[in-house]
Amino acid sequence: MVVGREVVVVGAGLAGMRAALEARTLGAEVAVISKIHPVRSHSGAAQGGINAAIRPEDNWENHWFDVVKGSDYLSDQDAAEVLCKEAAENIYELDRMGCLWTRDEKGNIAQRPFGGQGYPRTCYIADMTGHFIQHVLYEQMLKHDVEVFDEWYATSLAVEDGRCTGVVALSIVEGRLEYFRAKATILATGGFARAYRTTSNALANTGDGVAMALRAGAPLEDMEFVQFHPTGLYGVGILVTEGARGEGAYLLNGAEERFMKRYAPEKMELGPRDIVSRAIQTEIDEGRGPGGKPFVWLDLRHLGEKKILERLPQITSLAKSFVGVDPVKDPIPIQPTAHFSMGGVATDLDGQSPMPGLFAAGECACVSVHGANRLGGNSLLDTIVYGRRAGRAAAAYAKSARPPDDGSAALARAEQHVRDLLGRRDGERVARIRTELGDTMTAKVGIFRNGPDMAVALATIRELKTRYAKVAVGNESHEFNIALLDALELGSMLDVAECIAMGALDRTESRGAHARRDYPGRDDERWLKHTMYRRHGEGVEIEYRPVRITRFPPQERRY
Amino acid sequence: MSATPVLVYRAAPRTPPRFDTFHVEVLPAQTVLDVLHTILYEMDPTLAFRRSCRSAICGSCAMRINGRSRLACNTQASDLVRTDGRLVIEPLRNHKVVRDLAVDMRPFWTSVRAVKPSLVEGSNPVRKETHATGAFEALRLVADCIFCASCVAECTVREANPDYLGPAALAKAYRFVADPRDGATRDRLEQYSEPNGIWDCDTCLYCNEVCPKGVKPLDAILRMREAAVEEGIVDNPGARHALAFTQTVMKAGKLNEATTAIQSLGIATFLTPGAGNLSLAVKSAFKGKAPEFRKKPIKGMDEVLILAEAVRRKRKADRG
Repeated sequence: MVVGREVVVVGAGLAGMRAALEARTLGAEVAVISKIHPVRSHSGAAQGGINAAIRPEDNWENHWFDVVKGSDYLSDQDAAEVLCKEAAENIYELDRMGCLWTRDEKGNIAQRPFGGQGYPRTCYIADMTGHFIQHVLYEQMLKHDVEVFDEWYATSLAVEDGRCTGVVALSIVEGRLEYFRAKATILATGGFARAYRTTSNALANTGDGVAMALRAGAPLEDMEFVQFHPTGLYGVGILVTEGARGEGAYLLNGAEERFMKRYAPEKMELGPRDIVSRAIQTEIDEGRGPGGKPFVWLDLRHLGEKKILERLPQITSLAKSFVGVDPVKDPIPIQPTAHFSMGGVATDLDGQSPMPGLFAAGECACVSVHGANRLGGNSLLDTIVYGRRAGRAAAAYAKSARPPDDGSAALARAEQHVRDLLGRRDGERVARIRTELGDTMTAKVGIFRNGPDMAVALATIRELKTRYAKVAVGNESHEFNIALLDALELGSMLDVAECIAMGALDRTESRGAHARRDYPGRDDERWLKHTMYRRHGEGVEIEYRPVRITRFPPQERRY
Repeated sequence: MSATPVLVYRAAPRTPPRFDTFHVEVLPAQTVLDVLHTILYEMDPTLAFRRSCRSAICGSCAMRINGRSRLACNTQASDLVRTDGRLVIEPLRNHKVVRDLAVDMRPFWTSVRAVKPSLVEGSNPVRKETHATGAFEALRLVADCIFCASCVAECTVREANPDYLGPAALAKAYRFVADPRDGATRDRLEQYSEPNGIWDCDTCLYCNEVCPKGVKPLDAILRMREAAVEEGIVDNPGARHALAFTQTVMKAGKLNEATTAIQSLGIATFLTPGAGNLSLAVKSAFKGKAPEFRKKPIKGMDEVLILAEAVRRKRKADRG
């Protein structure tokens, strides 16, 4: 059976749902494919908020500057401009859809300060902002009757004469593969920080869409820039929102010193994420964690019980459940955790990839808005603004594009691949390779990097890829075979990790989240450019393209 | 630490269900999800279950753990091992099993869809000030719901009647009933008052008790009942029963089963042959259990009235 639609969206987090809604309301025939049900998507785990200049004393151009400076000047300034300019209307639109923004005493949408910004412009709903927006968009999907194929895992893109003509996907419940023929395909599969051992990401965040695009021949961009969130719960890496610091929480080392004064004397705890994460890691590496242990404290106690329970209820319960700490009474042990992928599928301002028929939005895309370091509160904004734009552009493209052919070759290839995986009786198990990958990425392509370590990491990743080619699933069943999904996802992560390590090794400078001990300075002369990755035979080739600078000339970055 | 027996429910198409026992070394601070991953990765790659965020926000991993529906990801395994000596992991009840611990969620989503869960633009746009007065506070009761289906799995009515909308969908329904911006409140209350809706709940409280996010579906259902009656949507057995119940208590300080039954069902239904009510009454009478039709007020009736008034005032205050 072939499912034919004008627009097929892969992934149903905020970006995917926003894109699907836009395309649907513009009259396109839309199907959404997602490996988990839409409300299970990881956008729902976003806690702190979403940025928009909505007050008379703020304006979108200030926001624009903050984004560009935060990106360490790698952001394409026209893309950041669109993000900030369209922010406010998107916030109000969500309000009309039923979003319950936290309000101030006058009834205005409340805003809290977030890192690296000159104005408190982060709109929020307690510390469950992503959860609420996700539910609102799902409600709208039901209202507009958007067709969803949930628990379908997209395995590959179909390509015909260099044009993307849909995707092949596996029904998780039934185990059968099908071709979803589409004039326009939108990837919205989220990030890939699962390639790291310690991460805030869901188990589902394995970079499937990014890997799929790479294999199909579409270019990726800026993959070496992986954001480490400063405050992950110690040991498990689960997110503790930047909103905690926005509400006034302190970062303390073992000597109970607010050590941020030595790293970002003006902004203190509200420095941008790259700088705060490096500060925490430095404290840990130099033995200043409590008792020399690899964590520092996030202290909320002085905020008082009322404010903590009102503004930060979710992290209060997460801290209790996962590290046994009540933040009202005790400080929370935290460590940096791999969090956000600045890079992804290269797109223009309408979410369109250089490959005709292929679009991408949200964390899996690289417009590029966030450059070398994303500011807190801009990822949700990115999903909404660019999800909508991608949906609009895809619907328009689908109206004019000719219908694709049957795609049977892509389907046959995917079927063969799955048959091979299931049929292999003896071989290494997926879990071991995945553990080695995570350990390698965290240890050698992490917060602080250097050439020799990354060279070792790249060699290790390539060796793991060789071993992966002979991996055994150990489960031949068709229905609900999660061992098979684990194997497919590991394939995505290995491809993505190879790109991260390649780009990071080649970039001999430090910029934003990419911090090299052997090249500690930013080098605008040689490296003010985007890294582009493209499949070449079995390998990957790197090229560069210039950054679009329209307003703000690069300057030194101080906080 | 020695290995803990972990009993896991196994079921697959074409094979009869069974329990498999795995012996797992449960480490301190490990969650039940960690234990399931140990089994999947080190012992049996054929085990099937859902999971994603592992931080209690995606709602994927609800299952029955040691006799109660919980999220595997935020349930500490060692706590249960300490009290029960073992782990027993089963799929959610009231759902068909797809494989092992993964259940068919389609009926759940059908119920959610059935309550028409999206804001209907009202004719009265809410002013900015409305937000400041806390008019949206009531919604907080249900807005944290992650659709994990734990409540539906424990629902005693859903167990008997798969068509009952169930606590999760009705909690979602309340999210719109309580929203001052919604323009379809009356239509909603009419719809939810139909069979399989708010009046079918038997107030067993299990939904409130098991919710891992502190949502109170039962409270939401009760508030919708009150709102429906206030709107005058009373032409249904549930509302009539509630009103008749109140009436007899206010009159005599105790329940009059006979008049309550007749008023709830309507005299015509009560007398319909085969409906079972009349024959039950006759049989009861023969066994000497005939309810008295006229009840004398109990002693202390004035106190009942004072209490009732106090409750009424408190409820009004609660609703703002």
